[in-house]
Amino acid sequence: MQRSTTLETVPAGRNAQRAVLDRARTSLGTIILGKDEQISLAIACLLARGHLLIEDLPGLGKTMLAQALSRVLGLTFRRIQFTSDLLPADIIGVSVFRQNSGEFEFQPGPIFSQLILADEVNRATPKAQSALLEAMEEHQVSVDGNTRELPVPFFVVATQNPGDQIGTFPLPESQLDRFLMRIEIGYPNEESERELIAGEDRRAMLKNIDAVTTPEMLIALQQAASKVPVTDALISYVQALVRHTRESAEIEIGMSPRGAQALVAAARAYAYVENHAGVYPDDVQAVFAAVAGHRLKPAGSTRFRSPAELCQHVLDSVAIP
Amino acid sequence: MTRARGTDGSLLASLPWTLAALIIALVPHVPFLPVWISGAFLGCAAWRYIIEKRRRTLPSSWLRAALALFCFLGVLFTYSSISGVGPGSALLAIMAALKLLETRKRRDQFVLLFLSIFLVMSSLLREQYLWSLPYMVVSLLVIMSAWLRMSAGESQSPRQSFATAGRLLMYAAPLAIVMWVFFPRIATPFWTVPIDTSQATSGISDTMSPGDISSLSMSNEVAFRVSFDDAIPEPRERYWRGLVLIRFNGRTWTGRDPGISPGALEQIEVTGEPIDYEVTLEPTRQQWVFALDVPTQWSLSEIFMGPDQQLARNVPFEQRVAYRITSFTNYKISAELSNLYRSWYSSLPEGSNPRTAELARQMRSDAGSDSAYVESVLQKLNREEYFYTLDPPPLGSDPVDRFLFDTKRGFCEHYASAFAVMMRSVGIPARIVLGYQGGEINPLGGHLIVRQSDAHAWTEVWLDGLGWYRVDPTAAVAPERIDIGASDAAFEAFGRAWGLTAPSRLLHRAKLAWDALDAKWNELVLGYGPDAQNSFMKWLGMNNPTWRKMMLTLIALVGGLVMLISVVLMLRYRPPLKDNAALLYQQFVKKTGLEPHTGETALVFAARIAKTGQFPEQTVDEITEAYLDARYGRNNAAAFERLRTAVRAMA
Repeated sequence: MQRSTTLETVPAGRNAQRAVLDRARTSLGTIILGKDEQISLAIACLLARGHLLIEDLPGLGKTMLAQALSRVLGLTFRRIQFTSDLLPADIIGVSVFRQNSGEFEFQPGPIFSQLILADEVNRATPKAQSALLEAMEEHQVSVDGNTRELPVPFFVVATQNPGDQIGTFPLPESQLDRFLMRIEIGYPNEESERELIAGEDRRAMLKNIDAVTTPEMLIALQQAASKVPVTDALISYVQALVRHTRESAEIEIGMSPRGAQALVAAARAYAYVENHAGVYPDDVQAVFAAVAGHRLKPAGSTRFRSPAELCQHVLDSVAIP
Repeated sequence: MTRARGTDGSLLASLPWTLAALIIALVPHVPFLPVWISGAFLGCAAWRYIIEKRRRTLPSSWLRAALALFCFLGVLFTYSSISGVGPGSALLAIMAALKLLETRKRRDQFVLLFLSIFLVMSSLLREQYLWSLPYMVVSLLVIMSAWLRMSAGESQSPRQSFATAGRLLMYAAPLAIVMWVFFPRIATPFWTVPIDTSQATSGISDTMSPGDISSLSMSNEVAFRVSFDDAIPEPRERYWRGLVLIRFNGRTWTGRDPGISPGALEQIEVTGEPIDYEVTLEPTRQQWVFALDVPTQWSLSEIFMGPDQQLARNVPFEQRVAYRITSFTNYKISAELSNLYRSWYSSLPEGSNPRTAELARQMRSDAGSDSAYVESVLQKLNREEYFYTLDPPPLGSDPVDRFLFDTKRGFCEHYASAFAVMMRSVGIPARIVLGYQGGEINPLGGHLIVRQSDAHAWTEVWLDGLGWYRVDPTAAVAPERIDIGASDAAFEAFGRAWGLTAPSRLLHRAKLAWDALDAKWNELVLGYGPDAQNSFMKWLGMNNPTWRKMMLTLIALVGGLVMLISVVLMLRYRPPLKDNAALLYQQFVKKTGLEPHTGETALVFAARIAKTGQFPEQTVDEITEAYLDARYGRNNAAAFERLRTAVRAMA
């Protein structure tokens, strides 16, 4: 499913990488209107080699964002609609007996793609969920005793509908931890919505969009993002934040060391997207709600109605050293 | 069991330090310990190091127990005792060395370091010298560095450990000084340390046999130092009386045990100017107090005058003690003497030294009077071929006969003994005085040094109307001994023998400088006893300092000092994250007059400043960018320069 690209026009080196990123953001911005922050976070999540969980009401463009990402970034894309009767084999694939050769042949499932959209992941049974989540964690799947590598890059965008309560299996905290970020898309602003209603059909636009990068280039971007410098001063800030989540009366369970690692990795990628000289406290703050929101368990008595509010409260209470 | 004894080289980094601490703690003990203990100590250290280095196993518990028993018996055999400073420190040293052989963990190393501190302290029980303090500072530095090496591991360089140890000692120094000054000193200590009697100090003994003093003449050790309030008397006037010997058995002269004689002081009649001075006596392990000729007043209440005008103290001098004395060199003692005493002071054993007795009777009848007889005996010694030598030939029985008629070579004790026997043979009361004569003036300290080589013996004869009268027969034979002094005479001879006049003179001067320093140190530091403390407290305005008052002062001062040091440390503390870029940024924040909110990033803050419109947006952005780059970016140095210029340029 690789697309022809226009890479010839792209200058070489670091500037080339930057240009690719900027073009990707612009392209995505023409499809997902007025959601620059979410686009940046999604790209950062991808660059940090993490997986993304989008949690919002239907019709806000969750699927559109995932599809646009795969198109713009030139990744092979498969969508898995999670339903209550979905089986692990529907995700991973099955071995089929071929009569003419007399052997079993593995028929790869949709998971063998570079970008997976796991739509409404909370509708499937825990068994099917865990098949996906294990693949996310291990970057490989085992079928009939054979270990099969998943493609590189491998990026899962899962969506979840928080409004649905009946017949759903919400992901437990331990599984949520597998997603580097959880973001909400939210309603578009008035201007964007107007353009959305009046303008061209987004699905049609999506077909005409060109990929700005190749998987190889994406891997190079991921490597470059992991080299953004992190100074002692920044680590102190991250530690102060993490310590606050553990000591605050508003929060029952604070961030784990793995959560702190995830925070730094995400901030690094975000700093790369933002073209910062190093990871700034601003980058940490930008990704904090997305990285920490689903990793914190608020105290029962908390006065904050949403994880985002709670995260903002943490950021407002911790001084930058 | 075998596994537990195995070593894995994990102590290899810190073990040499522990060994160094132990060895430096052993150093001051070495001259006093039997050689086999020092040898075993070093052997155990080397053994333990090799075990660790080659990852061998430690010796079995049976072997260790056997070694411990063997060493214990060795100490018992060497000293025939296990109590006292000598055997105590020997046991401590050898057991510390054996502890090495079961040192497996860090905890064992802690024990070893405690032991080395204990060893260092126990060396002070013997004697304190000028070098004791520098030695203790150095050894504590090494021990504490070893301690830090053990806890710090790889993260700290040896140099850092030394620096930290030095800093800790520096913090402790004011506390130590305050404790030293204010800790109540008590005239009679709470405890007494059993002194090692097997180590005899050189000095004059209670009796005098031929050869006793000549053995001292080679010892350069200081017997005592004297500082005079006024001028120092001439060498010929410097007779330091010690003990008086009155009984003679034909070979050996013996004196009395120290005892108070209330009448002794009353027998002295003095004329002329008094001489006031202070004597700092080195430990003698004896009770005798040395004073110039006849003392009439002295400072310490425990000093008393016994028969024959000899001064003594009620307990032996185990430590260096300073006392003040008033003496007279013009005096008359016991103008009257009863017949009983006359015969007592002129008794001789029956039939001893017959040739001397015969000569004495003949010379007495030729002389006509007692005083003329004294003169003629001195002239005989002067005119005939009698030689003063440090190396006299041995004398058999009747030593006075052999000396006077055959060998004719001797040292002061031979002359004094012969002269006293000559006197007693004709019924003139005579006694021998043992003490020191002369002494060397230290031009740097302005005091007089009296060494063991200045030990001297002379006689006092009782003449009718004159009382006890000092006669020094050695002066008749070798007047230069009295005029120059023994040490200078020996020194001149030494210089000539080696042909090294100038270097030996330089050496001598260096020794005098050292002695002056030593004397000052003794006076100010080691001599800081109850009296000195009392007068210092008076100077501070604390009258009648009681034990309780001093303790309270001490606690208050120590508490105050600890607080002061803590405050200094707290003020000096800098939070580690305030780096230079952050400090510059703070200057910038101050200049804006705004205060960043908690959790407000530099970029957000910059946007807020821009909103006020008070500062050029470009400057604010430049500073913010440079700050973020300097603090969080890779290109720190250049960004820092940019930040500094921008902040300085800002109005």
